[in-house]
Amino acid sequence: MTTTNSMTDVHNGLTDELRARNDIIECRGVDKWFGDFQALRGVDLLVKDREVMVVLGPSGSGKSTLIRCINRLEVHQGGDIIVDGVELTNDLRNIDKIRSEVGMVFQQFNLFPHLTVLDNITLAPIWVRKKAKKEAEQKAHELLERVGIPEQANKFPGQLSGGQQQRVAIARSLAMEPRVMLFDEPTSALDPEMISEVLDVMKDLANGGMTMICVTHEMGFAREVADRIVFMEDGRVVEIGTPNQFFTDPKSDRTKLFLSQIL
Amino acid sequence: MGATMDGPIHVPQDGDAEALDYTKAAPPEEPVTPPGRWVKENLFSSTSNTIQTVIFGGLLLVLLRFVLNLVFSEENNWAAVATNVRLLMSYNYPAEQYVRIWFTVGALAAAAGLSMAAWQLHPRISVRRIGVNLLGTGGVLIVMGILTPGATPSSIRIGMLVIGAALLVIGAGLLFGTEDPHLKHVSFTAVLLTISGLIIAFLWLFPLGKYLFIDGEAIQEDGTVSATTKGPWTVTILILLASLFVGRAIGKAIGGTRPLRLAMGVWWVIGPAFLIFLVLRDPEFDWDYVLKVDLPLALAFGLGGGALLYALTKPTFADQARAVGAVLMGFAIFNWVAAFFGWYAMLQKVRFSFLALALFALAAPTFAGEKSARLRFAGMWLGLVAVGHWLITGINTPSTLDITAPPFLGGFVLTVSIAYYVMLASFPLGILLALARTSRMPIFRVLSTIYIEFVRGIPLITVLFFFSIMLNLFLPNGMAVSELAAVFTGYTVFSAAYMAENIRGGLQSVRKGQYEASDALGLTGVQRTGLIVLPQALRVSIPNLVGQAIATFKETSLIAIVGGFDLLRIADKTIPAQTAFIGQKRVGLLFICVVYWAFSYSMSRASRNLEVKLGVGQAR
Repeated sequence: MTTTNSMTDVHNGLTDELRARNDIIECRGVDKWFGDFQALRGVDLLVKDREVMVVLGPSGSGKSTLIRCINRLEVHQGGDIIVDGVELTNDLRNIDKIRSEVGMVFQQFNLFPHLTVLDNITLAPIWVRKKAKKEAEQKAHELLERVGIPEQANKFPGQLSGGQQQRVAIARSLAMEPRVMLFDEPTSALDPEMISEVLDVMKDLANGGMTMICVTHEMGFAREVADRIVFMEDGRVVEIGTPNQFFTDPKSDRTKLFLSQIL
Repeated sequence: MGATMDGPIHVPQDGDAEALDYTKAAPPEEPVTPPGRWVKENLFSSTSNTIQTVIFGGLLLVLLRFVLNLVFSEENNWAAVATNVRLLMSYNYPAEQYVRIWFTVGALAAAAGLSMAAWQLHPRISVRRIGVNLLGTGGVLIVMGILTPGATPSSIRIGMLVIGAALLVIGAGLLFGTEDPHLKHVSFTAVLLTISGLIIAFLWLFPLGKYLFIDGEAIQEDGTVSATTKGPWTVTILILLASLFVGRAIGKAIGGTRPLRLAMGVWWVIGPAFLIFLVLRDPEFDWDYVLKVDLPLALAFGLGGGALLYALTKPTFADQARAVGAVLMGFAIFNWVAAFFGWYAMLQKVRFSFLALALFALAAPTFAGEKSARLRFAGMWLGLVAVGHWLITGINTPSTLDITAPPFLGGFVLTVSIAYYVMLASFPLGILLALARTSRMPIFRVLSTIYIEFVRGIPLITVLFFFSIMLNLFLPNGMAVSELAAVFTGYTVFSAAYMAENIRGGLQSVRKGQYEASDALGLTGVQRTGLIVLPQALRVSIPNLVGQAIATFKETSLIAIVGGFDLLRIADKTIPAQTAFIGQKRVGLLFICVVYWAFSYSMSRASRNLEVKLGVGQAR
């Protein structure tokens, strides 16, 4: 067992209303090494049902590694991660269960280039959820409508702009009807004029009550949408708080330095 | 943002969406360069360019003269080829069974026409391109007419000059007689109709070839070949055209070509196997055995196995499916052990069937789902049993593949059969090997690496000798394979190793993000490989795979060394031994050069078209 050396209280910044909800994701003392490099050092985190959590921090601070551990794209070596009551272990059945409950949106979109937009979205519902093709396609059309690109259903990803591709990627994740959505810097690979179209979709999702963890550099989005903000550095959680607390009254010096550099 | 969950989100559109669809963009205008200026700009633009043009142009002419000397040499007796066309194409294939070969050719033509319609392979060709091609061909023909050696029959010489001049006139007329020849297009159908008409006219106007049968009996009259082939070829071309129009009509009637594409895709995978079997099949086929043994076995495995698989794909039966699969797998492996020690007799076909059923049962949980999905899985099994049992029946028919006396299968038909079967078999084997080599499981990786590196380190001819002579020595008592089947196995073993390396290259080109996205969606490993990774990897591998296919096609000529009567052996040994054509080797070899080249070149052109069609190298 590793020592939990995070300095923060996972309940920081929780309003009474949030406190009363169920825990969806629980990380306890999560450690992760890449070779000799320790990417996560005893991370504690608690995400409540329908909470929008934004993870901030300088590059290399372990933000992406943390959310990639949550759906087992990376294997953590110490501590526990419990998603919706299921503990992440090497048991394949648990992993598959969690992955179909947790949607993920990547920085590089990672759409399947050989499939049309529609097939990209219906693939997992048909093969993992065993839905009928017709039903899956109907749902896909609804989702495309929701992310604002219903007319692109029969195109291939290579024919779309970056912003459109990322919106398809979000629709693809939503098609699995996940309980949690993970966003790994979803706007970092986009041209500036396309960022807002993706952020608008994410805001809409947050307002609709989706549980979300977003790794992002979009401070405006964090301030406007997040229930809580987590600040990470060197693989540790340095500070957790409401956006108001975080941006106006940061507690640690490191956070103050970070904010002074970006704002 | 107060947008509701269900309403569409109004986001700023990044530019006109249509503008991104570059497939619809008009081609850039390309001004026609007058030939004089083209020559000046490309061939004589500077002193060094002029020198190079003169030197290499001269070399080219010398080379052409050399080839023409070879072709039109006085020592050549082209009658040796003209008389032996039938021998070169199908060797000793019984004349009264020829209708099978024609049926095969006709079926392929029908499939080709339907496929052209299904994939909408009717590009519009610009008048300019046709004109330039005609000018080029005409020019080459005239140069050839001038360069041919004196011994050439004057009819050929004058023919070349006249046809060349005619092509030049037509080409120039098209280029300079039409307004904007690069913008004006001719439909593919028109070009196809013209070419077909010319071929049919040629067949009916020119008396081609004469016959000489292997026993020396000759029908030494000009035109015996065209007399017997012009009818079937005309019908074949008409079938091609008719099926093209029928395919288009079907596409219009059902409002889309997708079902047709699917049907034709399935046909091209399994259809040629059926056709080749039709050609290969022994005239004295043992129908009794087929009806009493083969058919009941296929029905039992197909229906029994299908019912079992339908039951096992029930979503709640995953554990049972794994258990049944494991038991079947154990039994399937035990069958071979038993065969090795001769404990009990069992048809090889049954052993294979049990193995396949075991694999399907193990895969059942992956394909579990609703009724339609389960029926589709059982249907896949039925299809596999049908095709597999059909092929094994074909191969097992005793005299069919026995190429020792009396050799009745040979020539071009043998070349195509071997090449096709080897490609068909080594492709899945290559995929499995490539997957094993990139697998995370060390045992698969090591075994596959050993296999690939071992086979790639051995010359093909060694592999062929090993399989044709030694294989039967290693097989358990009571098991034997005919020589042709053994050679075929050797080719497959060899080709699969190279296929595997090509596919591995494709696998490595699939980005890590694709694996992560599949994992994040909850796809299983098998689904990830089959639905995401392999389609992309194979698409990237197409050029290399076609290269491998062409190599296999040409390497079939090695079968001559282990006793097969393929094109090479007939041209090199059989024809020069005929009393009428003692020592006439060169014409035969020149002829098979043209045959091999025409096929290889068509394959590489087809693969280039396929690459464009599938968008290889397209921005992702």
